Amino acid sequence: MSHLRAWHLPRGFVLADLELATLHDSSQRSLKHPMLGDEGIRELMTALRRAREESLVGLPVARVLGAVDRVARRLLDSGDSLRRTALTDLGPHAGLSNAMAEAILDRMAHDWTGERLKGLLESEFPDPLVLDGFRPGPGGGMLRALGPPLTFHLGAGTVPGVSVTSLVRALLVKSSVLLKPGRDDVVLPMVFARGLEEEDPVLSESVAVVYWPGAGGAQSEAAIRGADLVVAYGGDETIRWVLERLPPATPLRAYRHRMGVGLLGRAALGKEARASAAAASRAVAMFDQRGCVSPHVLFVEEGGETGPREWAALLAGALKDLEASLPAGPLPPEQGAALQQLRGWAELEEGAGRGAVYHGGPEAAWTVDFRPQGRLEPSCLARTVRVIPVGDVADALAALQGWKPYLQSVGVAGLEDRHEEVAESLALLGASRITPLETMPWPPPWWHHDGEGPLRALVRWTDVEPGI
Amino acid sequence: VTFLELRKELLALFSLGVEDPLPDSDFNRLALEVFRFQCLENPGYRGFVARRGADPDALSRWQDIPFLPARAFKSAPLVSGSPLEVERVFRTSGTTGGREARGEHYVRDLALYRASLLPNFQAHLLPGVESVPILCLLPSPEDAPDSSLSFMLGEVMDAFGAVGTWGPPGNATPAPEEGVGGSSVQEGGGFYVHPTTGIEVQGFKEALQRAVAHQVPVLLAGTAFAFVQWLELARNGAWWVRLPEGSRIMETGGYKGRVRALAREDLYRGLTEAFGVPAYRIVSEYGMTELLSQFYEPVLTLDGQTGDLGEDGVGGHGDPGWDQGRRHHGAGPVAGRFHRGPPWVRSRIVDPLTLGEVPDGTPGLLAHMDLANLGSVSGVLTEDLGRRVPGGFQLVGRSQGAEPRGCSLAMEDFLHALGEGP
Repeated sequence: MSHLRAWHLPRGFVLADLELATLHDSSQRSLKHPMLGDEGIRELMTALRRAREESLVGLPVARVLGAVDRVARRLLDSGDSLRRTALTDLGPHAGLSNAMAEAILDRMAHDWTGERLKGLLESEFPDPLVLDGFRPGPGGGMLRALGPPLTFHLGAGTVPGVSVTSLVRALLVKSSVLLKPGRDDVVLPMVFARGLEEEDPVLSESVAVVYWPGAGGAQSEAAIRGADLVVAYGGDETIRWVLERLPPATPLRAYRHRMGVGLLGRAALGKEARASAAAASRAVAMFDQRGCVSPHVLFVEEGGETGPREWAALLAGALKDLEASLPAGPLPPEQGAALQQLRGWAELEEGAGRGAVYHGGPEAAWTVDFRPQGRLEPSCLARTVRVIPVGDVADALAALQGWKPYLQSVGVAGLEDRHEEVAESLALLGASRITPLETMPWPPPWWHHDGEGPLRALVRWTDVEPGI
Repeated sequence: VTFLELRKELLALFSLGVEDPLPDSDFNRLALEVFRFQCLENPGYRGFVARRGADPDALSRWQDIPFLPARAFKSAPLVSGSPLEVERVFRTSGTTGGREARGEHYVRDLALYRASLLPNFQAHLLPGVESVPILCLLPSPEDAPDSSLSFMLGEVMDAFGAVGTWGPPGNATPAPEEGVGGSSVQEGGGFYVHPTTGIEVQGFKEALQRAVAHQVPVLLAGTAFAFVQWLELARNGAWWVRLPEGSRIMETGGYKGRVRALAREDLYRGLTEAFGVPAYRIVSEYGMTELLSQFYEPVLTLDGQTGDLGEDGVGGHGDPGWDQGRRHHGAGPVAGRFHRGPPWVRSRIVDPLTLGEVPDGTPGLLAHMDLANLGSVSGVLTEDLGRRVPGGFQLVGRSQGAEPRGCSLAMEDFLHALGEGP
């Protein structure tokens, strides 16, 4: 396999003696990345700041939206070279199957189209033109909203496209972007930045995408110290690391690791049992379960036409079927290690009359662990899910108390008229998203990401009071 | 074949020591006999074997035995025989795997454990040495009756620990001249971790000081976790010793390269600084509660003819992997090192999904067939990653540049948030 070029710098920016390194891993994916050093990062940030001052801050939000929309449409157009390039590298480099890579690109790029972004702007700002200049505000005054001059985005390298979404949000609020994607999310930001350069060279002067190994290190530190706002995706360890280096005046938007769960009420276990199992299987399988929106545990209510154990078997069947249409990527050894332990343990448990386990054996990693009185625990991913039967959905809500700091997306089905009270309880538990199982993997652009408005989390407001 | 018959054969085999390899056919025959015995006598394991579609009587290669994942020891008492005949239950520390029950290894016969651990320990930690003061950064077997590691070091202490007293440090008593192995070496060893209060700093310091005052080489043994704690204490108190030449360290658990733990290279540098023991006299032990045999790095092997430990601890007894291990010393204190087991253990390195053998040099899951586990389950699949190298295997930590995948929650963060983390 060729080495993937893992940087895209603004056209005008030339680094003397750009030194390159190559990063290999065990699955033959390799990346070429520049060794910018902290000095190089600082120079790059200076250039990005200048681009923002000289052009980006004066560009209408409609122009940003238009440019992003054109890139998104090219990524959706099967005849376009940009899409072809993306799909050539995306699967292999992200460790996903090509079918999965394509499914992800389609949904992600759809959310970068003008229509969806317009929805985002309108959801965030009653008058999105506050991003271009002062607009009438309450009480006869005026309002203006602006993003910080330069944001540094530290990607987690998990779900492809997430860091592009982060980049797009910043551009919409006129912020220059330095993006360090994670190891498994290099392809889409690179392709996107290239597309942007082709569609709007002026705008693209404000964008730099550079990979360097690891979340920590001197380059990350220089980027954190030099930014006006830091957006960081990652585990608690990464976020702690960032916090320790963050200048006191620099805001941090941290998207920590989260977990999703599913709640299935009796009504989803009648005629719809097979359909709800199929929907659940897609929610589990999408991104090979690496998403913060991916469910780790599914609570299934007893007393429906299909019992929880039977439903778990249906889910297993659906996961098996998905291997044909949406195959899993290569199993990362660390996940495989945990997976095998789970399978062996669960088989012994089943032998002793406790629970049941269904899995893809040597062919596929998917595993359904049916576990009465099972605890909540993070899945080892790779399409491994625990099914816990509950007498009533309320029992699941009680069990979720333990997940409070980590709860994010809750996929639901068959709740009937209970959905409002369940939603209320989940809101109190800190869930930031309640959605049908079908749409669990795909939050809309205007979702309050981990509870915050995705654009409002970036801007500062200036109020002009009447009578000046 | 009965337990007693197999036990007798295994004890005889273990008594031959670890240096001479067991021919493949001998190992295969014994392994299959042990496996068939376990299928008969161990219902839990039998169910697992059946579920994996294996027919115990039809198998002809030990490699085809279904290896039981170690986590299964958390499910049921896996005794091959009557649970009433169990001599001891060892338990895992219980942090990994969440709040689940701790793994339990029901040991039918401690004699097999003893017979397996002693020759292997001696060959790798005390080659050519009869007795030595042993200082353990571990709880004593009395304080931690369910720790297999404490039990092991207790046995080692009984077999090789020097006995007697030195008197207080700085005492004018002349130091014994004989050094390691000399019969007049006086005792100064013991266990210096209390199960609840942690390292017994004063006692440990005094023992170290005694060794220095009397110029008696010692063996230090402990977990990487305890050593890291000691290094912090030593650094904060600017307290270090230079143990007499010939001293050595057995470290266990440092190979995992856990997120919050120190990199192994840094740990060894710290140990050299704190104790004056060079990295080539620090031996990593790899073992687990679920296995009665252990794996060691062959770095302290007996130096040919002399019976002394060579200055750089190099053994020259024809171990095929040894030269490789040595050559890489320049690259760092642990580069090129590998672990090996005794002749009654064989290891497979398998693909994490298919469980088929991976090519040499490719990382995979470690699975061990440990005949000393006669009374429980011998074929154990671990959660550890390793790669095969000449002479043994190398444990593989989280590789450089590899970031944990998934923005979904990591188990460690989760446990940490619940206050149960490491």
